Amino acid sequence: MDMKNAKNANYLQIDNTIRQMYASKGNIILPSREAFEKYDWTRKYFVEKPKEGYFIWIKEQTDAPLFSCVSIKTKDTRQELNNLVVIEKDLKIKIRGTCNSMEEKICGEHKAKGKIILRQNASLDYQHTHKWGNSDSVKTDYDFILEENATLEYNYKNLHTPKNLFLKTSVHSHKNSSANLNIVINAVDSKIQVEDVIHLKEKNAKGILRFRFVGRKNSETKTTSRIVAEASAEGHLDCHALLVDEDASIVLRPELENKNKDSILTHEASVGKIADEQLDYLRCRGLSEKQAIDLIVGGFLR
Amino acid sequence: MLKIKDLCVEADEKKILNNVSLEIKKGTFHVLLGPNGSGKTTLAKTIMGLDHHKLKKGQIIFGQEDITKLKPEERAKLGIALTFQHPPAIKGVKLSEFLNRISKTDAYKKYLTTDLLERQVNVGFSGGELKHSELAQVFATEPKFIIFDEVDSGIDMKRLETITKMIKEWISPDNSALVITHNPRVIELLKPDIIDILLDGKITCSTNNWNEIYCTIAKYGYEKCKECKLSAD
Repeated sequence: MDMKNAKNANYLQIDNTIRQMYASKGNIILPSREAFEKYDWTRKYFVEKPKEGYFIWIKEQTDAPLFSCVSIKTKDTRQELNNLVVIEKDLKIKIRGTCNSMEEKICGEHKAKGKIILRQNASLDYQHTHKWGNSDSVKTDYDFILEENATLEYNYKNLHTPKNLFLKTSVHSHKNSSANLNIVINAVDSKIQVEDVIHLKEKNAKGILRFRFVGRKNSETKTTSRIVAEASAEGHLDCHALLVDEDASIVLRPELENKNKDSILTHEASVGKIADEQLDYLRCRGLSEKQAIDLIVGGFLR
Repeated sequence: MLKIKDLCVEADEKKILNNVSLEIKKGTFHVLLGPNGSGKTTLAKTIMGLDHHKLKKGQIIFGQEDITKLKPEERAKLGIALTFQHPPAIKGVKLSEFLNRISKTDAYKKYLTTDLLERQVNVGFSGGELKHSELAQVFATEPKFIIFDEVDSGIDMKRLETITKMIKEWISPDNSALVITHNPRVIELLKPDIIDILLDGKITCSTNNWNEIYCTIAKYGYEKCKECKLSAD
């Protein structure tokens, strides 16, 4: 979500101030701190009393996507969010979340911890976009808990990486649930660490982790992606990376841990460069080498 | 339109093209025939500016300009285009999006189905779809000179007739073409102005008598070309 559309956000926070909060009928959006006081049951999800962040409790079906936007505008701002999203049984919900810095060179720090709970038969389509300046530091740690028959489609896209990015995502999948995670990162002038794991905890749980990373100038990316099968389940890791510039490095570490003989866990992984034939082909159509690289990278990350 | 003088191209210390000279005049339509491994695709790539490091000697003039040291994209902008025998897949990029990016005209649309335009460039294309896509792409850039590399590879006879018809429709007094093939049947379909024979990295014959060439190669194969009276050597 662009900032120009932020006025439509259900939750809008700039720096450490909530600017806007709106929930559709029957649903609740509150500052996490207030939810912690008001609803005792939330305390098992918040490790400690939150300083800031949002609590979103969806109890009624809403077809329009729910927008959240957390931005940093002022130099040296430190954010420490603790978010909780609960989607009740049988609801099909879309969330569009954006976290960004609104200015270049503001040395912002964004830390976010969150839990997203999908109750039985709930379905969540979550598009999560990060857009940072190259002096920012970002650390996120999200847990998705998928109850029986829940479905998660989570797309994380970061085409403007901060100076430091630590991205941790854990999915806990219960019976017959399905998780599909797509993580897309274009690393430029950045040090990135990604740790993602899907725990297939109960029978017939399904999980797919799909990564697309591009390493561009002065970037270092280290990722560990892991699927753990604790019951009869299916999981697949699909990790591919393109190394574009000489001073970039990428480590992809796919891990499969199978604790159940009836489970099927598979993976494919590659780190490579752009093929010369692709560049030659596009140059013969009149694109410069840089234009050709941008087109190939854009397609790869799509 | 295009003059090639004494081109020598080497790879791994082996001569691929050996003093190749060729002139293609404005409004003329050439077919370059030669067996597999004779250097046809190397010649096409050298004209387009690919694998420049392999060029050891020679000069390429396009119009009035010496393009020998130009990059492929600079040659494309001057009006040279090449269709690839094995075009690479460009994943995540729709053919329609790519054509919009490179085209000067939307005339290409008539060559492609809506379904193909919505697919990713060359991903899972059949042989015929690849040829249509290649032709649409080069036509879209409105070039003055096109090299069609191995027009008949990967397609059946019926599709070849369609492809050759598209090429012939494109030919005009203002532009020129070089069709590369190892299949003499292509000559019969295209009826070019000039046929050039490339054997072992050398142009051994250039003639406008396509019928004689077709009959000779169809009957005896390329071995006969080495002793042919039309041979330049």
